[in-house]
Amino acid sequence: MAMLNEKQQLMRKIQNESFALVEAHLYLDSHPTCPMGLKYFAQHKKEYDELMEEYAQKYGPITVGQSDTEKKWSWVTAPFPWERGES
Amino acid sequence: MWQYEKKLQYPVNIKNPNPALAKVIVSQLGGPDGELGAALRYLNQRYAAPCREVQAVLSDIGTEELSHMEMIGTILYQLTRNLSMKEIKESGFDVYFVDHTTGVYPIAASGVPFTAATFQSTGDAIADLNEDLAAEQKARVTYDNILRLADDPDVRDPIKFLRAREIVHYQRFGEAQRMVQDMLDSKNFYAFNPSFDK
Repeated sequence: MAMLNEKQQLMRKIQNESFALVEAHLYLDSHPTCPMGLKYFAQHKKEYDELMEEYAQKYGPITVGQSDTEKKWSWVTAPFPWERGES
Repeated sequence: MWQYEKKLQYPVNIKNPNPALAKVIVSQLGGPDGELGAALRYLNQRYAAPCREVQAVLSDIGTEELSHMEMIGTILYQLTRNLSMKEIKESGFDVYFVDHTTGVYPIAASGVPFTAATFQSTGDAIADLNEDLAAEQKARVTYDNILRLADDPDVRDPIKFLRAREIVHYQRFGEAQRMVQDMLDSKNFYAFNPSFDK
């Protein structure tokens, strides 16, 4: 794996947290009262929200709600993730 | 409803184009056990699920399949960049190229375009969940076969991730099936309880 720049490193952290949430989410669907599962989801959700906010501030929106509405619609000025180096 | 997130579930960064590989991996987009069929299967079956847990499992796995369709689309897009006509002819990619250039189109590797005829939505949760368990295993086999055909570590890495997800989904569908079966009449040992005319 090539050296990752700061933006890519932050995206990896988001993907890691996002994956933890997807796994916990599917598990909780079939184990909705598991205290360990609930705690795990809550911990990772907090970390995920902070990283998403940091990424949007530095590199552009991941969700449309994070798009800049003051000067320009940053949703279309940041690249899409299928381009090499953008995921 | 859905909201798009401008990120891949798992990174895809392929250095070397390889149209011959794209020609087989396209099956996981539009083939009989591909990600599009998986998403449509679960997202349409969920209305017949008899409890909230199973409604959630079908909604959420169906949603994750959409993100897998995006990863496969990205793999195909990156494998077919900057091709010369010579590479297109020699790789056998010409038979795809003639109709689609390098556009991403849901089709099986054999050339059959995506069809809903490869899956069911029976209105019966037991029948549907048994299909879903088989579907995850069939998709896992297709990923095993792709791993037998692909040498490039940039391609193998995201394919291994997708293969592992089939195994996790199989686990979750097994739990969903057990839940529905437990809701059936206790004298029903053979897991049939028509949901339509009860």
